[in-house]
Amino acid sequence: MKKRGRGIGLSFYGTGYGNGFPDASKAKVKLLKDGKVGIYVGGTEVGQGAKTVLSQIGSETLKLPLDKIIFISEDTSLMPDSGTAAASRQTYNTGNAIKIACENFKNRLREAAREQLKLNAIHGLTVEKGEIYLEFFPQKRISFKELSKIYGDDNIEAEGEFIAQTIEMDPETGQGAPYWPYTFNACGVELEVDTITGLVEIERAVFAQDVGRAINPHLVEGQMDGGFAMALGYVLFEDLKLEKGKIYNNKFSKYLIPTAMDMIQIENIIVEEPEYTAPFGAKGIGEPVMIPVGPAILNAIYDAIGVRITELPVTPERLIKAIEEDGKKKEEI
Amino acid sequence: MVEIKLKVNGKSYILEIEEDMRLLDLLREKLGLLGVKEGCSEGECGACTVIMDGKVVNSCLVMAFQAEGSSITTIEGLEKEGEIHPIQQAFIEVGAVQCGYCTPGMILSAKALLDKNPNPTEEEIREGISGNLCRCTGYNKIIQAVEKGKGV
Repeated sequence: MKKRGRGIGLSFYGTGYGNGFPDASKAKVKLLKDGKVGIYVGGTEVGQGAKTVLSQIGSETLKLPLDKIIFISEDTSLMPDSGTAAASRQTYNTGNAIKIACENFKNRLREAAREQLKLNAIHGLTVEKGEIYLEFFPQKRISFKELSKIYGDDNIEAEGEFIAQTIEMDPETGQGAPYWPYTFNACGVELEVDTITGLVEIERAVFAQDVGRAINPHLVEGQMDGGFAMALGYVLFEDLKLEKGKIYNNKFSKYLIPTAMDMIQIENIIVEEPEYTAPFGAKGIGEPVMIPVGPAILNAIYDAIGVRITELPVTPERLIKAIEEDGKKKEEI
Repeated sequence: MVEIKLKVNGKSYILEIEEDMRLLDLLREKLGLLGVKEGCSEGECGACTVIMDGKVVNSCLVMAFQAEGSSITTIEGLEKEGEIHPIQQAFIEVGAVQCGYCTPGMILSAKALLDKNPNPTEEEIREGISGNLCRCTGYNKIIQAVEKGKGV
């Protein structure tokens, strides 16, 4: 018999290393010949969109179009350490480092402009669209290109470092505030359980993710879809056969992951509540997008058939077994 | 060693190959077409997908000598006069690429589908790319990109 159920799952997640562990990101910004700006960070792009989002943060801070920015994150001879592309930390941590480095760089540009324009101070000098000009006397202006001709490649540069605020928890009581910031999300699913075959079919899914601010909404949606799909696989069929350190199903023919036919359209809701310590309010969501999906699916299965599943994945065999065991228990009562 | 004749991305080749060579190795090693990716090597992931005489094949499962006389398209063959294919453009525009490893195979599967069925339903698109695994995107942006690439 096919039974329908609905369930929700909620989660909150601290991004970054947390628990007092030193969490530092560094960034370097340079004026290049031809007036372009180079941004150098060790924030590895692994497909999550770090390069896009971090370039955007640089572009926004420098008020410079993206095509005037050369962003390098894969050459260790050029870039400082920005920590790992892990812990959902690049947008917030390295984003902050870039913002600081860009602000420092703007001051270096203002200094150079003061010298060239023969001004007394840097106050009132605006940096935007590749130019530095005096706000109340805009005829006094000089472009990045002119400055790079005068100072040459590599002479105007600045660095920035961001160290996240994390506090070690009390080892005695286990109490404290280990992370900052946190991100919040909620997932709701409607599904159908076939009590004869044990198959679970997701019919509808809604996912709301707090991102602080969506620097690139396309990429945020991509992360939400991807997190849902990976969680769907873990919850319904991915089962690593690990025995004494050996993986017995280390092939895609024996370890199934979702295909396009297993996925459905997700109704994604991006929640924007800017985080005041974040670059333009943005927080990382790489890992959190997976977390509430499992509880939502298990709650929906419970809603459909009244059986609590406590072991993953919920394969048809396991589900049928759980239904039978539950039936026996109820008979005994 | 055997000699085979085949056409790859519109260009004719006569090649000396080892008998036990896979089409995947011919394309990557003999012709330097590195857009053909090796993933699982057992025909499950679709990263090595190419179009062979209008049909998608996993080039890890096709022996090189079996390609005798055939016409093969790899991702490199979609470019025309320096312009990328509309499906590639659509992938970029909707954000259907994350780590990118599945992308060449995914785009070729989408192209083979649209060549045969210019106006597929969402279900048909899902089926058409179901031989290509993607761990990053959850497929939905890819579906959206194929929708966008329809009829262009």
